[in-house]
Amino acid sequence: MSKVLFQHIYKQYAGEQRVAVKDFHLEIEDGEFLVLVGPSGCGKSTLLRMLAGLEDISEGNIIIGDRIVNYISSKDRNIAMVFQNYALYPHMTVYENIAFSLRLSKLPKAEIHERVNRAAKILDIESQLHKLPKQMSGGQRQRVALGRAIVREPEVFLLDEPLSNLDAKLRIQMREEIGKLYRRLRTTTVYVTHDQVEAMTMGTRIVAMKDGVIQQVAKPEEIYSRPANLFVAGFIGSPQMNFIEGKVRVRDGYSLFETRKHTLRISEDKSKMLRDNGSIDKPIILGIRSENLLYRNDDLAKPEQQMNVFEAVIEIKELLGADTYLYTNNKEQRIVVRVDPKTRFEEGERIVVGVDMNHALFFDKNSEALIC
Amino acid sequence: MEPNLVHIPKPKTGLRIRLLRIRWKKIDLFQVLAMIGLTLLALFMLLPIVFIINHAFKPISELFLYPPRFWSNQPTLFNFQQLILKSQTTVIPFSRYLFNSVLTTLVTVAGVIFVSSLAAYAFAKQRFIGRELFFSFTIIALMFAPETVAIPRYLVIANLGIMDTYLVHVLPLLAAPVGVFLMKQFMDQIPNELIEAAKIDGAKEWVVFFRIALPICMPAVATIGILAFQGSWAQTETSVLFTSTESMKTLPYYTMTLTNGLANNVVGQGVAAAAGLIMFAPNLVVFLLFQRRVLNTMAHSGIK
Ligand SMILES: Nc1ncnc2c1ncn2[C@@H]1O[C@H](COP(=O)(O)OP(=O)(O)O)[C@@H](O)[C@H]1O
Ligand SMILES: [Mg+2]
Repeated sequence: MSKVLFQHIYKQYAGEQRVAVKDFHLEIEDGEFLVLVGPSGCGKSTLLRMLAGLEDISEGNIIIGDRIVNYISSKDRNIAMVFQNYALYPHMTVYENIAFSLRLSKLPKAEIHERVNRAAKILDIESQLHKLPKQMSGGQRQRVALGRAIVREPEVFLLDEPLSNLDAKLRIQMREEIGKLYRRLRTTTVYVTHDQVEAMTMGTRIVAMKDGVIQQVAKPEEIYSRPANLFVAGFIGSPQMNFIEGKVRVRDGYSLFETRKHTLRISEDKSKMLRDNGSIDKPIILGIRSENLLYRNDDLAKPEQQMNVFEAVIEIKELLGADTYLYTNNKEQRIVVRVDPKTRFEEGERIVVGVDMNHALFFDKNSEALIC
Repeated sequence: MEPNLVHIPKPKTGLRIRLLRIRWKKIDLFQVLAMIGLTLLALFMLLPIVFIINHAFKPISELFLYPPRFWSNQPTLFNFQQLILKSQTTVIPFSRYLFNSVLTTLVTVAGVIFVSSLAAYAFAKQRFIGRELFFSFTIIALMFAPETVAIPRYLVIANLGIMDTYLVHVLPLLAAPVGVFLMKQFMDQIPNELIEAAKIDGAKEWVVFFRIALPICMPAVATIGILAFQGSWAQTETSVLFTSTESMKTLPYYTMTLTNGLANNVVGQGVAAAAGLIMFAPNLVVFLLFQRRVLNTMAHSGIK
């Protein structure tokens, strides 16, 4: 178990114009489960591979524990890695796969035997130890790959999209198992995924990346409720956050968010922050998640709330069991609204949608950064 | 007890009949024809083998029968006796040629496998300057028949100062572009992650090679092993070109002299037949031992 420190890491592949990773600076706490998330091609694997010693570092230092590991080869970094395609040795049995690293480090046979069996027991593959990888299912192979990693008791675990080759059901199951494994071992873990659900459910901290640059580092709740910019806001959460373009105006002492057709009243504290930020009359993007949009049928009368409503036509209805999502059009753009699945809706129906302005987020349209 | 009015077949036979039927249903006319054709072809290809085996055991009277027969009516070990006797009268005993051949062939096979797979591993999985260039040299080398480079090869051997040693039977054969090419095709298919996983597991480069890359490529190893064996066991060139001392020459050379010099010698025919079988037998054994592996090479070269 160790801290990991990335100091202003840059990576440019030989012969490539683009920088794959740019000024990546981050400290990973001892025993943390850090998730690197971002769309594919954003440099997640590159980072992990630099940490593993499989790729040169163009600039900056990587420190594991108290060693700068830039020039230390993979085998001496005391890390373990799980690959997307498992990378099990096809000619070795499960037992030999798991024991491989221990045999190389010349441990006594009895201890190897004990450690392999312990790992197999934790992962529930004791009865499979004599099999070859090709005789196993995807989920089982993934367990073997995990077994191969944990048996070494490394300082850091690296996992590169370990679940993306599994089907949906197995993915959820293995997600839980990896979580359990982590809570049991408490080893520093860096987990790479392009799946924001995995990131949200597994990480103690999330690093959102785009084009090789860190966008935000935060706990799951925070990254969800206070995304640092438009990219993170749009990437985290499903369905995607609704973005509405407009301007903030001050009228009769109230701050209002105005689009071409609609007007929404901004809450007191947010309007103060917007004013302090100098965002009045500047192009602003309002972000609001579908669960903060409320279907109204009877309380249209209250004038105070009437301010924050708009009319919309249901275009598509998506039933997901526990929730129903309405893809509506408010004459300007598409807005996704979460509603109670017990209420019946028809496609083409007109509804009134209320906006919970306390949960609205305001982004600067030019810098795309969160204002408040 | 009511007698059974309807005949119910015993389940066991019924099952067997059904299995037979299912099996036959899957075979259509084309397959039947193809099977007959291939069987005939295989039998035809078998004839020389049958002949060579029987020939070695024929007494002299049968060796010269016209038309020649495949079967030997009175098999005898006379020819083998003669072979051993004859070589006792010459300076160099038969066993010396045999020893030379076995030794140099074993070393050549091991050497070709070692050199080719190491080169292939580097070409497939290492990044170094000139990788493409050197590999294209190898490909170009594929296009030269050995005869075309006999003279430069002679000069190389002569200048190395290894004329008349065992090395001349080994060294020229170690450069096996076919082996390198075949191995590289195989090594290319090993996923990089596998090698990276091994490195993270603590393997040095040579451990990765011997414990991961080579075992995965076993089918290719068997194939180039057979190729190297056949290239070495039956060849006479190195004995002819690079050795002058009789004790450094190999068995195929000796067999060749038997059939050449003693063409009209009656006993010589029998001796040649016996020597021919001794030359041929290892080919058969090696092939039978490795054939499954080789078929694997051809059938599925995928690894995942
Ligand atoms: N070996 C390589 N050579 C050149 N460019 C690469 C190499 N590996 C990755 N890249 C580039 O670096 C960027 C980041 O890739 P990667 O780290 O694999 O992304 P991710 O894992 O987030 O999908 C991509 O633009 C990719 O094309
Ligand atoms: Mg990746």
